[in-house]
Amino acid sequence: MSDRSNEARAAILGRIRSALGRGPLDAERIVRERQALLPSVETLQPKFDDLSNRQRFIARATSERLTATVDEVSDMPSAVTAVYRYLQRLKLETRIALPPMPRLRDLDWSDIEVHHDITPNEPVAVGLADYAIAETGTLVFTSRPESPTLFNYMPLHHVILVEAATILRYMEDYWGIVRRQGNVHPRNTNFITGTSGTADIEAKNIRGAHGPRYMHIVIVGEDARVES
Amino acid sequence: MRQTSDKFKANVTAALQRPNLRVALNRTTTLLQTRRAGVIADFPEYEEVRDAGQRIKDHTLENLDHYLVEFEKNAIASGAKVHWASTPKEATDTILEICKAHDAKSVTRVKSMLGEEIGIGEALAANGIERVETDLAEHIIQLAGDPPSHIVMPAMHKTHEDVAELFRRKHAEPPESDDVGELVESARRELRPKYVSADIGISGANFIVADTGSVVTVTNEGNAELTTAPPRVHIVNVGIEKLVPTTEHCSVFIRLLARAALGTEITQYTTFHNGPKRLGDLDGPEEMHIVLVDNRRTEMLADFLRPMLRCIRCGACMNHCPVYGAIGGHAYGGVYPGPMGSVLTPAMTSLKQAGDLPNACTLNGRCKEVCPVNIPLPDLMRRLREKQWRENLTPRSFRFGLGVWAFAVRRPWLYRLGSRVGVGVMRLLAGRRGRLSILPGAGGWTRHRNLPAPEGATFMQQYKRVKRGARGNGEA
Repeated sequence: MSDRSNEARAAILGRIRSALGRGPLDAERIVRERQALLPSVETLQPKFDDLSNRQRFIARATSERLTATVDEVSDMPSAVTAVYRYLQRLKLETRIALPPMPRLRDLDWSDIEVHHDITPNEPVAVGLADYAIAETGTLVFTSRPESPTLFNYMPLHHVILVEAATILRYMEDYWGIVRRQGNVHPRNTNFITGTSGTADIEAKNIRGAHGPRYMHIVIVGEDARVES
Repeated sequence: MRQTSDKFKANVTAALQRPNLRVALNRTTTLLQTRRAGVIADFPEYEEVRDAGQRIKDHTLENLDHYLVEFEKNAIASGAKVHWASTPKEATDTILEICKAHDAKSVTRVKSMLGEEIGIGEALAANGIERVETDLAEHIIQLAGDPPSHIVMPAMHKTHEDVAELFRRKHAEPPESDDVGELVESARRELRPKYVSADIGISGANFIVADTGSVVTVTNEGNAELTTAPPRVHIVNVGIEKLVPTTEHCSVFIRLLARAALGTEITQYTTFHNGPKRLGDLDGPEEMHIVLVDNRRTEMLADFLRPMLRCIRCGACMNHCPVYGAIGGHAYGGVYPGPMGSVLTPAMTSLKQAGDLPNACTLNGRCKEVCPVNIPLPDLMRRLREKQWRENLTPRSFRFGLGVWAFAVRRPWLYRLGSRVGVGVMRLLAGRRGRLSILPGAGGWTRHRNLPAPEGATFMQQYKRVKRGARGNGEA
């Protein structure tokens, strides 16, 4: 940190303490207080008791606002067939960008030409979401060597596989998982809900502003068992 | 950006003479109001979430020094570099030093209000660094050479016809028609190569999270990730009030922000950025710098303006303000227009310079009603007016008028006489139409619309009549 930054730091913290008119803080008290602000998170979440995670996720993802299409298959090999079906249906070239993720790379893609890099005008990329969130129809991606960020932002068609068992109910459920694993965060956690859109001209919703214009989601396998 | 809040009245006169502006504002604010009302109606928990949002922000502000230090520690642990700046100049100097250290020729930028506050555009231009705005609306106003007119939709003052004309003149491969979809496609073509060739990406932050050191960006376009992932360096400029304690607290605001701003449950892209590229990562910046900026927020923390620091910059207050709807964002002459700007601009510049802003308000209370964190905007504006009076900043004619009114109101017979005469004169002038198109001393009103004449007698006349009638019926 430069001298200027150090001086500004001391000055800002000093001004805050004098504005609040108090001395040093008790860190444990602050943690207690901030936990008390979220006494029961359930009262702060929209309810959808009549729907399973899968049902709500599909309803949201295919809503008029999110514009995604959804396919459901039983296992990963059938997901490859589902991707092929999508390419055929939209008369797209059978050529995809695929992140270098072993779980995707090791599938049998023989009918489709696969490459593991991404260019700004990529027609189709296929990915595997780490989780999904039912409340909002959101997909969660975490960056790591096998899962680069730009695969989710560059292509025109974004085809995403997601395992049914990883569809969580709320965003807070995802934070709970991360916390149980030590609250370690990747460089990027991307919550993606539908396709890239803009309403910057007369508030009209238009798709494909900078990122994907089309989203196709393939839900793989059985739902997580609900423990009662 | 250049502040013109001191010329507010002239700005308003100019704005009211642009019929296209009213069309553009009306098309957009009406849609946003309808969408917001719909999504709130679908969310019965809204009031509770809103109260929680307020409490979380108040708690964070009451412990701001603690949270800033906690954030700093965790951001550094994630590999980011943290810088502090008291003033806009310190902030831009810090950013320019980083640019120079990397010999940056071209910078892509995701719109942030803090960036506008510190004048990042001007600072880069003065140092010969190319700036590419990637938010579609910012791209439009950068091409047009306009300042932003709304915080969420900076090009709200442009109709699609205006944009089509602009893109035809400025884009390498211009759009084929005025269709909004074609216009968006044209911008996509124009911006795509620039994302990957930029040396540095600059973003703001919608939230910063103390217990993880995360910087959170929220967009619909996906331009934040395309701006921050390809270049070698990611610089974040952010105000110190954007802190939230934990990721769980952040989720509360994610539910509030998109509903208030756009009338949707969530925006398309919400990203938590934690430091630079990790070992083995194929993309992401090699360096991430976070510049924490005060710009007089600590002064607001010290006085009655503290609730304004809860603001999450959704823009709902302006979308629902009748004054904003008539004059648009530019007339306010500051970075922040609308009700929030009428409080923030005097706080960030001076009440002397921006004194007209807190007075350009009908106190109808809509802004407070729709605020997702319960900021009492009309009260803050009233307090600013009181402060103006105490500091003798109110114009002399206004003080004189108020003096006359105060003299009369303390002598009820005089006040009643005055209002009876006033009502009589107005009805006489209005004639059979019941509307006034000219009224001495009220030209500012009658130039743009008629003033309805009083329908009946004064309140006291009617009150007496009702009382007499009631007595006649033997009820009182």
